[in-house]
Amino acid sequence: MKEVKSQVSGIVAAIESEPGSSVEADQVILLIESMKMEIPVESPCAGTLAEVLVEEGESVTEGQVVANVREG
Amino acid sequence: MADNDNRKDRQEPRSDLAAVLAAKAATLDENRPDALAKRKKTGHWTARRNIEALLDSESFQEYGQLARPAFKLRDGAADGLVMGIGTVSGQSVAVAAYDYTVHAGTQATINHTKTDRLFHVVENLRLPLIFWTEGGGWRPHENNISPRDFEETFAMMAKLSGQVPTLGIVAGRCFAGNANVAGLCDTLIATRKAALGMAGPPLVESALGIKLTPEELGPPEVHEAAGAIDILVEDEAEAVEVAKLYLSYFRQDNPPGEEPDVMALRDVVPENPRRAYDVRKVINGIADVGSVLELRPQFGRAAVTSLIRVGGRPTGVLANQPMYLAGAMDSPACDKLARFIQLCDAHDIPMLYLCDTPGLMVGPEVEATALVRHSSRILTAAVNATTPFMTVVLRKAYGLGYYMMGSLPVNPSLLVAWPTAEFGAMGLEGAVKITHKQELDAIADQKARLQRERELADEIRARNTALEVAGRFEYDDVIDPSETRAAVLKFLKSLPPVPLRTGRKRTIDNW
Repeated sequence: MKEVKSQVSGIVAAIESEPGSSVEADQVILLIESMKMEIPVESPCAGTLAEVLVEEGESVTEGQVVANVREG
Repeated sequence: MADNDNRKDRQEPRSDLAAVLAAKAATLDENRPDALAKRKKTGHWTARRNIEALLDSESFQEYGQLARPAFKLRDGAADGLVMGIGTVSGQSVAVAAYDYTVHAGTQATINHTKTDRLFHVVENLRLPLIFWTEGGGWRPHENNISPRDFEETFAMMAKLSGQVPTLGIVAGRCFAGNANVAGLCDTLIATRKAALGMAGPPLVESALGIKLTPEELGPPEVHEAAGAIDILVEDEAEAVEVAKLYLSYFRQDNPPGEEPDVMALRDVVPENPRRAYDVRKVINGIADVGSVLELRPQFGRAAVTSLIRVGGRPTGVLANQPMYLAGAMDSPACDKLARFIQLCDAHDIPMLYLCDTPGLMVGPEVEATALVRHSSRILTAAVNATTPFMTVVLRKAYGLGYYMMGSLPVNPSLLVAWPTAEFGAMGLEGAVKITHKQELDAIADQKARLQRERELADEIRARNTALEVAGRFEYDDVIDPSETRAAVLKFLKSLPPVPLRTGRKRTIDNW
């Protein structure tokens, strides 16, 4: 299992990938709104999006684990 | 002597040679089982193993292998410093490594003399220097032998700045004078087992009354975030691989590397202007595959500084990072960029600016960091550099941020833009608030006022698209993103040969 971390502090603007679905490397899992920009949080590898740990509208901090991806 | 003359086997060394060979052999790892066991126990490589892993086989000419401690110690192999010259993939270099098994890698009378000797050789032959700096500072046993303030090591190391590339590697505990050597290197690699600091635990305890282990005092993750180390690696093996990659940027004979997927560059910048992207993807779409080495990735994260090769040619990349602060330039990012310009310029590495910034970061918090001064460092470094550079405007090019990121007044050899480029002398929403103040103030309804602000900003935006700006000849060209690598190659091929230097072009700020 690979942890997916937010690189920035901000608010979860949208969750773009469905938990349980398969994801490609670099696929956008969710968007964080910060500095009037949408910052994508991407999957580090191809696999299955095991879980998303945050909800839309929730505040996240830099380095926070926001999802887990099962490799392969 | 008669015995020697009557030797039956001429292959067998005479007693004078045998004495030398035995003395040399005694310094080798295989003949120092206790020392070897100590390193094995802590999971570290020996000084000799590090050097052996870096250098081409049989290329090492050691200096001072027979040196002994001024203060007689039980085990004083080479007085705790293995050093000499050799080659890495045929490139001549100098190497030095403190030996932690000789009194904790401490600096002492004789090994200071050794370092100073090597620095003279480095300066005379203009050799890149790779220095493993693990060790505990001055060896107090020699307090009565040599007054340390006579030692020239640190002054000489500082004098090497800008003369030759210097690379430090910290793979264990490195404090005080040893840390000073590390801090004087152009670039510093550290492993996960590094512990680094200007004063070790005994000094901290006596001055502050705080008891800490070396690892608590100066862990590598802290130094990575603070920018003290440039590259954090897992272990010594990876440090050596990174060192080999680093050296490749300081030679002109690299073979052209594999071309990356350049077509991917067409889709890196999202259509939605508010959507961020990782500028590292742009760098990967320009550089030879496997040739990217990012410096200080966890420090000044609104900017990315990477050494790359394009068609084998060394290039330094300075980029804004939209993923962090939307690419707005804060003090750490400015420091990182300014320092990187100095590194590239001192060693004649052509530069590539990738601009996507809304400008300098704003607000009282960043002003309190002396952004006024830190941001200025970029321009002072850039306009006084003589190494050519080119600029690609990827998306946002606003205000003084753009001015500093390789705009026309800084004199790029080539200035191109992607079709997604936006330009503004300052942030557009801020600009219309000033230029249309009366009109906007007269709109009582807040929603309607914001709508009008947006319309006015969009009007300016439409006048500053890549095509419009190129129409005013403020870009040399607007290019297909997939042709960026080709444009960089044309720029690099247009450059005159790197002049042979006999002295220093400029020093490199240690920060």
